Amino acid sequence: MSVRREKPGSQPVLEGALAERGLVCRVEARAGLAVLIADEATVARLGSDAELRRAALALAREQGFTHVAIELRSDS
Amino acid sequence: MDEKELALTHWLQARGRVAIGFSGGVDSAYLAVVAQRALGRDDVLAIIGRSASYPAEQWAVARGVADAFDVPVLELDTDELKDPRYAANPSNRCYFCKTELWSKLVPVARTRGFHTVVDGTNADDLADYRPGARAAHEHAVASPLATLGFTKADIRDRSRALGIPTWSQPSSPCLSSRIPYGTSVTTERLGQVEQAEKALRNLGIEGDLRVRYHDDLARVELSQATLPEWMEPAKLSVLVKAVKGAGFSRASLDLRGFRSGSLNVLHGVTA
Repeated sequence: MSVRREKPGSQPVLEGALAERGLVCRVEARAGLAVLIADEATVARLGSDAELRRAALALAREQGFTHVAIELRSDS
Repeated sequence: MDEKELALTHWLQARGRVAIGFSGGVDSAYLAVVAQRALGRDDVLAIIGRSASYPAEQWAVARGVADAFDVPVLELDTDELKDPRYAANPSNRCYFCKTELWSKLVPVARTRGFHTVVDGTNADDLADYRPGARAAHEHAVASPLATLGFTKADIRDRSRALGIPTWSQPSSPCLSSRIPYGTSVTTERLGQVEQAEKALRNLGIEGDLRVRYHDDLARVELSQATLPEWMEPAKLSVLVKAVKGAGFSRASLDLRGFRSGSLNVLHGVTA
């Protein structure tokens, strides 16, 4: 068994990369977890577009994140 | 009965009387049913260790299987949260939990004349990072399913053939597996996770589901196929309400969906 110390992912770089892909959102970094905070339209687009979700995951992985979650807000 | 199940039956019969660490999960349910058939109800005892990290929903499944297949059950209270080494939630947390479980269960089994104690570890588990296995070994707990090469798929197939309802049940690790290593495990946090998962089940979510604890934020893992549905505005708002009702102030959905051992990945723990 080994335990690797996870480096926090790079939040500003990921925000930029996602924006280039047309996914405008704020990224909250919690060690290996990137929490995407977006408006209602972006959440809906992510929900209906599996390719966009895969792209977001790949971009986050490139920046050292192991997990990506989208925040859900009743008002989003 | 096929060759593998016959080998298991012979293995059990050679021990005479067998006590089983019984959670009501896919593996221990199958083992308990086969043991009852191989040995008869007087020579089998399924022992449930009940604690805050054991979901009430799982307990109900365990009791249901035992009732349906006439497997005698004994329940013991265990309290791994009282051990500060467990509560601190290190990556080998399961070792302390299983130490607490087996150190209570094995002596009770022996005083009742059950000198062989077994668990439901299967052959696939041997490839995973499972610090709890060391505790089983230290308490001379045998794992016949693993020893005889039963994979999870084997156990599901045979459970289905025997009519055991757990055959299609998703894997059901303890509630502490929802809390990242290094974040302390408390009764309150376990309760939050359990309540959120129950509320989501009540919304009709079936199959794989985990609510991962990240302080104020719940990260919900669902199967990939159901993600689009739960990201639609109407569904999303009921999901958020269910999660917040359990005491989280923020809710999120994991974009990759359900991953077994997800928090091991987050912390870089590998076998």
